[in-house]
Amino acid sequence: MTLLGEFALWISLPVALWGMVLGYAGGRTQRGDFVLSAERSIYAVFGLHLIASAGIVAAFLGDRFQYWYVANYSNRELELFYKVTGLWAGQRGSLLFWALLLGLFASICVFQNRRKNREFMPYVAAVLQTILAFFVVVLLFADVNPFERLDFTPVNGRGLNPQLQNYWMTIHPPTLYLGFTAFTVPFAFAVSALLSGRLDARWIQLTRRWILTSWLFLSVGIVFGMRWAYEELGWGGYWFWDPVENASLLPWLTATAFLHSIQIQENRGMLKVWNMSLVLLTFLLTIFATFLTRSGLIESVHSFAQELRIAIIFLAFMGAVLAASVVLILYRLPQLRSENRIESFFSRESAFLFNNLILIGAAFSVMFGTMFPLISEGFTGQEISVGPPFFERVNFPIGLALLALAGIGPVIAWRRATRKNLQKNFSTPVLVGAAVAAALWTTGARHPLALTTWGIGAFVLTIIATEFWKGTRARARIEGEGYLLALFHLVSRNRRRWGGYVVHVGMVMIFMAFAGAAYNVDQRFLMEPGDVVEVASPMGHTYQLRHDGLSVNLANGQRNLLWQAIVTVSVWKDGEPQGILTTEKRQYTTQEMGSPPMTEVGIRSYPLEDLYLILSELDDLQGAVSANSEAQGLYLQVLVKPLVSWIWFGCLILAGGTIIALWPSVDRRKSAATPSTQAVPEPAVVVAAD
Amino acid sequence: MKKNGRFMVGLVGVAAVVTYLIWTGVSETMVYYLTPVELLERVEADPTFHDVGVKVSGQVVKGTYRRADGEHLHLFTVQDLADESATFSVEYRNALPDTFTDEVEVVLEGRLRPDGVFEATTLLTKCGSRYEAAPEELAG
Repeated sequence: MTLLGEFALWISLPVALWGMVLGYAGGRTQRGDFVLSAERSIYAVFGLHLIASAGIVAAFLGDRFQYWYVANYSNRELELFYKVTGLWAGQRGSLLFWALLLGLFASICVFQNRRKNREFMPYVAAVLQTILAFFVVVLLFADVNPFERLDFTPVNGRGLNPQLQNYWMTIHPPTLYLGFTAFTVPFAFAVSALLSGRLDARWIQLTRRWILTSWLFLSVGIVFGMRWAYEELGWGGYWFWDPVENASLLPWLTATAFLHSIQIQENRGMLKVWNMSLVLLTFLLTIFATFLTRSGLIESVHSFAQELRIAIIFLAFMGAVLAASVVLILYRLPQLRSENRIESFFSRESAFLFNNLILIGAAFSVMFGTMFPLISEGFTGQEISVGPPFFERVNFPIGLALLALAGIGPVIAWRRATRKNLQKNFSTPVLVGAAVAAALWTTGARHPLALTTWGIGAFVLTIIATEFWKGTRARARIEGEGYLLALFHLVSRNRRRWGGYVVHVGMVMIFMAFAGAAYNVDQRFLMEPGDVVEVASPMGHTYQLRHDGLSVNLANGQRNLLWQAIVTVSVWKDGEPQGILTTEKRQYTTQEMGSPPMTEVGIRSYPLEDLYLILSELDDLQGAVSANSEAQGLYLQVLVKPLVSWIWFGCLILAGGTIIALWPSVDRRKSAATPSTQAVPEPAVVVAAD
Repeated sequence: MKKNGRFMVGLVGVAAVVTYLIWTGVSETMVYYLTPVELLERVEADPTFHDVGVKVSGQVVKGTYRRADGEHLHLFTVQDLADESATFSVEYRNALPDTFTDEVEVVLEGRLRPDGVFEATTLLTKCGSRYEAAPEELAG
C-alpha cells in the first residue's frame, strides 16, 4: 500500500504537468478537447494523492518505522487516532496533505463549472495544476519526501510530541490548510481573468463563496490554534505573536481586506487593480504560511541551513508567481481602470478603503515584526528582535480603529453621506458607547485600552442591533408578519448583508474578550495538603482553593505515559462549592532523558471568567515519583482570566454569520427571472450549494 | 482621486500613523539578540551594558541544572553554541516551560549582572514539534 502510494505520488507529477500545459494551450487555442483533458487531469491528480496519503496512513498504522517520517512522528504505543492524523503531524506529511486538499478543492471547482463559466476554465485548470505540480516537486525533490526510507529499520519510532496529542492540535492544522488551499481557487480565477481578458467583476462573483469559505476556515483555524495554546501550552495565554502564529494571521488580514474591497468593485466598479493585487498577495501569504508553519526559518536563523533547499524552492516559486502576476496586471492595466471616483471622505467606499489600508497596515507591521531579526541582521549584522510588546503596541490602536470601522462601514451611505445621514445613524450609538465606557468606569474599571475597546464595541453592537431592529420592524409592518418570521425573511432575502453583520458581532465579541486580558490575575502559592488559599477575581468573586492531595500514577508506558502526578484541588466560588479541579505533571516515555515533565492545566470556565490552575512545581518530584517520599508540597499558580469564553463564543457567532452569508439563496429562480439588482444569479460554487 | 484632497490626506494619515507606530514600537521594544560570546564581549567593552536588557540564545550545559531548595528558583549554566568556553550561570525565577531539558537550546531574556550571573525574566526553548531530528539520531 505504501509502495503504491509512493508510486502514485511520482505519477502525479507528469499528470499535473500535462494538465498544466494542456490548460494553457486550451486557453490559447480554444480547443475543447485540450481543456477537457486538463480538467480531467485534476481529478486524476486528486485520486493519485488520495492513494499517496492512504499509503502514508497505512505506514503509520502498520508501524513501518523504516520510513523516516513514520519513525519520527509515531511509535508502537501511539493511539490509533494519532496514527491516522500522523498524516499532517509533521512538515513532510503536511505538504502532501496540502496537495491533497488543494486537489479536492480543485476537483470540486472543476466539477461545478463543468458546464458553465467555460471561458474561465482553461486557465483556471492550468493555474490549479501549476500549483499542484509545484507541491509535488517540493515533495519529491526538496528533501521532504514523506516516503523516504532509512537504510535501517528502527525497533520503535520516536513517538509523537505529547504536546501535539491534543484534540485541538489535530484539527487546527487541517482547518488552516483548508483555508489556505480554498483561497487558491479565487487566485486561479483572478489569473484566468487576467489571461482571458474578462476583467469585469465576474471572476469575483464566481469566487465569492470560495473566498468566504477560505476566510471561514482561516478564522476558525486560527481560533482553534488559540484554544490549543490555551489548553496545552500551560502558561495561560492563547496568543504569543510567535512567528508561526503570525504567519497564519497574515493571510487572514489580507483576505479580510479583500472580502471588503471586492464589495466596492462589485458596487462601484472601482479598485480593480487593488483587488487583483490583494488576491495575489493573499495567495502568496498562504504559501508563505504553509512554508513557515512547518519549518524553523524565523525562530532560528541557525536552522536555516538545514532547510535551505526547501526555502530556496519556495522562495523561487513565490518570486515566479509574483513576477508573472505583476506582469499580467501591468499588461492589463488599461482595462483595469476604475469606472468611478471616490466622491466624498464620508462615504462607504471611503470607510471600506480605510478598512483595507488599516488591515494592510496591520499585516505589514506583523510581517515586519516577524522578519525583523532577519532584516536587522541583514542591515546591521546585529540580530535585534521585537517581541509581543511590539506587536501589541502597534496592533492595539490599529485594532481599535478597525473595530470602529466595523460599525461605521455597514451603515454609512455609498458615494456621499450627508450630515443628516451621519447624525441619524451615529448619534445614538456614540452615546451608548460612551455610556457603557462611563458605566464601566464607575464599577472601577480604569484600564484605558480596555475601556476604549468596550466603548467602541458597544458602539458597533448598537449600530448593528439598530439595523436589525429597523429592518425587522419595517418588514413586519409591510408584510404583516410576526417579528421572528420577519427577521427570518429579512436575513434570508439578503444573506450577504445580514450574515456580514453577524460576523461583525462575532468580531466585536472577540475583541471585547481580548480586552479582558487587561484584568488577568496571576498568583502563585506554596501549598501543603489541606492549605486553603483565596484569590479575588476582577469580577468581584472570591475563589477559595484547597490542596486535597497529590497522587502519583505509574503508568509504565501505557499510552506513552511513564507517570503522572495529579493534584486535586477543591474549589469554592463565593463560598459555594464548585467541585474539584485537577492539574498534573506528566512524564512521557517519548521525552528525552532528563527532560522535566509536561504540565496539564486545570480550567474551569464561567461565563465571565476562567479559573486556570497550573501545577507549577512539586517540592520533591523525584521523591513523589519513586514513592519514597511523603512530601506533598507544591507550587500552585492560580490565574483568573476574564472573558476568555467569549473568544470561543464569538468565534461561533462569526462562523454562523459566515455560513449565513455562504448559504445559497432560497429564491434563486426568482432573482434569475427578474433582472433586478442582483441580475447575476448566485453562482453555486460551494459544496453545499449543489 | 486628484480632486479629493481630504481623502488623500486621510490615506497619507493612515500610512503615517502606521509608520509611526512601527517606528516607535521598534525603538521602544527592540531587544538585542546576542550569542553568549557577543554578550560577554559587549559587557567587557562597555560595563553599562550590564543594565541593558538582552536576548541571548545558548545551550544549557548538561548536568548543571538544579533547583534552589525551598525557593522557586532555577539555576543552570548556559554555553555558547559554537564556543563552549563562553559560559555564564543563569538564575530564573519562573515556571520552566515543558520543553526545557538540561541540554536544550534556550533563548533567555534578561540582563547580565555585574557579578556575572544572568538574571532571566523569560525563558523559551528552541525545539519541539517544529523541529525534526536528523536521521542519524534515530540510530543512536
